[in-house]
Amino acid sequence: MTALTAPPRATRPQFEEPGLPRPRRRQLHLQRKITGVIVALIVIVQVYPLAWLFITSVRTEQDFAGGNPFALPTEITFDNYARAFATGNLGLNILNSLIVTLGSIVVIVFLGMMGAYALQVLGFRFSRFVRALFLVGIIVPVQVALVPLFVDYAAVNLLDTYQSIIIPLAGFALPTSIYLFSSFYEYIPGEIYEAASLDGAGPYRIFAQITLPLSVNTMVTVAMVNSIFIWNDFIFANTFVLTDDLKTIPLGLQNYIGAMGKVDWTATFAAVCVSITPLLLVFLLLNKAMTYSLASGATKG
Amino acid sequence: MLPQRSRLSVLVFLVPPLALYGIAVLLPIFQSLFLSFFEWDGISPMLFVGVENYVHMFTGDAVFWTAFRNTLGYVAICLVLQLGGALIVASLLTLLRRGRELVKTLYILPAVISTVAIAFLFQRIYSLDPEGLINQVLEFVGLGGLQHAWLSDVNTVLAAVSIPEGWRFTGLYMLIIYAALLAVPAELEEAAKLDGASWWQTFWRIRFPYIRPVWITTTIIATTNALRGFDIPYLLTNGGPGQSSELLTTYMYKTAFTSTNYGYASAISVFVVVECLVAVGLIFVLLRRKADA
Repeated sequence: MTALTAPPRATRPQFEEPGLPRPRRRQLHLQRKITGVIVALIVIVQVYPLAWLFITSVRTEQDFAGGNPFALPTEITFDNYARAFATGNLGLNILNSLIVTLGSIVVIVFLGMMGAYALQVLGFRFSRFVRALFLVGIIVPVQVALVPLFVDYAAVNLLDTYQSIIIPLAGFALPTSIYLFSSFYEYIPGEIYEAASLDGAGPYRIFAQITLPLSVNTMVTVAMVNSIFIWNDFIFANTFVLTDDLKTIPLGLQNYIGAMGKVDWTATFAAVCVSITPLLLVFLLLNKAMTYSLASGATKG
Repeated sequence: MLPQRSRLSVLVFLVPPLALYGIAVLLPIFQSLFLSFFEWDGISPMLFVGVENYVHMFTGDAVFWTAFRNTLGYVAICLVLQLGGALIVASLLTLLRRGRELVKTLYILPAVISTVAIAFLFQRIYSLDPEGLINQVLEFVGLGGLQHAWLSDVNTVLAAVSIPEGWRFTGLYMLIIYAALLAVPAELEEAAKLDGASWWQTFWRIRFPYIRPVWITTTIIATTNALRGFDIPYLLTNGGPGQSSELLTTYMYKTAFTSTNYGYASAISVFVVVECLVAVGLIFVLLRRKADA
């Protein structure tokens, strides 16, 4: 974790350079240039598909059919976007995605915090066993839950509801959330709790007035790392949601592609762009915090 | 431990998360195990068949074995792209003086995009008629003869559905490995360089052993993620043409929700769970042992 916040050591090799003989120095300079070019090339290959997506979404149809992949569009048109919104149900899909994402995040953050508090701060005899139990959820693939949950939902009439997607999304994200919170709680000094206890605060007050306010940073991390995966979830929504009214953005997009993908290429590109832009914007705005959250969330998981 | 905690307070904090986790994760695992001993289409009464589903799976179902082989290929391609790519880019990045933040941001962008969007994007990239990006590029550089419908050729389709998955997460693993590389003490590397070690030697003898714990974790995450890969093959080809890009997960999904054969699908799920556990165990044993040697 500390490694992530450490500033890049751009100045590192400087102390040895002045002493180097000239040819070696030139060689180092050349090496650095070559490295720069290679990295630039790799980044271009990595990002070009995305750029292509956005460029194509503003091309006219004739221009697209003309087919030079690297040419800039001859004219920029936003008709594609107009058609995408007219045919699709993208607004409703985005709203559904917001509901599902916010609902899941609230559950993941609060239950994660509570679980970590019970395991790390309160402590109890079987806490090691419970921790091991939560570890299972990190390793096990989500597909194992599809058939059983489908059967269970059918039995209790939960199919085709927001809850039917939120329950598995939150359930499978909970272990990582608990681990992130507990590894943070390890660093809260015991003296704080002892002092609070001496002042007569019980476990509930300590949670509400000490642990919770201290957890804000971790809450943000947990929320960010999960929001990406939940916003983009396809498999649970595709399995448990049947009517158009509840479809989230990946499903709405999938519908759109199914209906228009072969008919109206450029409008479909526009629809795809619409679907990925909200998250992309949030990501670029919160860039630093997001990349940090993603990395720490992944390693803890 | 809090001095004033009571048994009740532990329960108040522990039961809600455990209940959700139990309903969403633990119970379904046991239900899958249970269902895997039955033949059931979800409507008619369940029929207990013992281990017949497993016997059929291992001895009588060619599709299962094809899907298993494809899954291994899929995992291999994803790991090479994700871990290999991540290690190379992260190492190069430590040599850069400027623009590291920009490279990190751009490199991780694909991780933010939904699999549906990625699947559509790559369908267009691979497409032959009308010409997609790859075929356009081939034509452009004068290799028009190599033009191909990449997703309909049984020889290229598995690679074609694996590459998007590899591409999507390589940035994430790069971030993790890059952070680990930054934590390698500079003094160690300087000392090695003064002793005349080449860049390559420094890398394998000092850097890599130093980041080995992170490398093990990353390998485990990447492997379990690849083993549960589903969205992109399902959306791109739905396992086709024939079964040439069928993975265990897509096969399980189709068995459950297209053929409504819940019992057999559950047997496949149980196999996938065991496969993940075995994979994680193997990685631990293999990479740990090398560390001791």
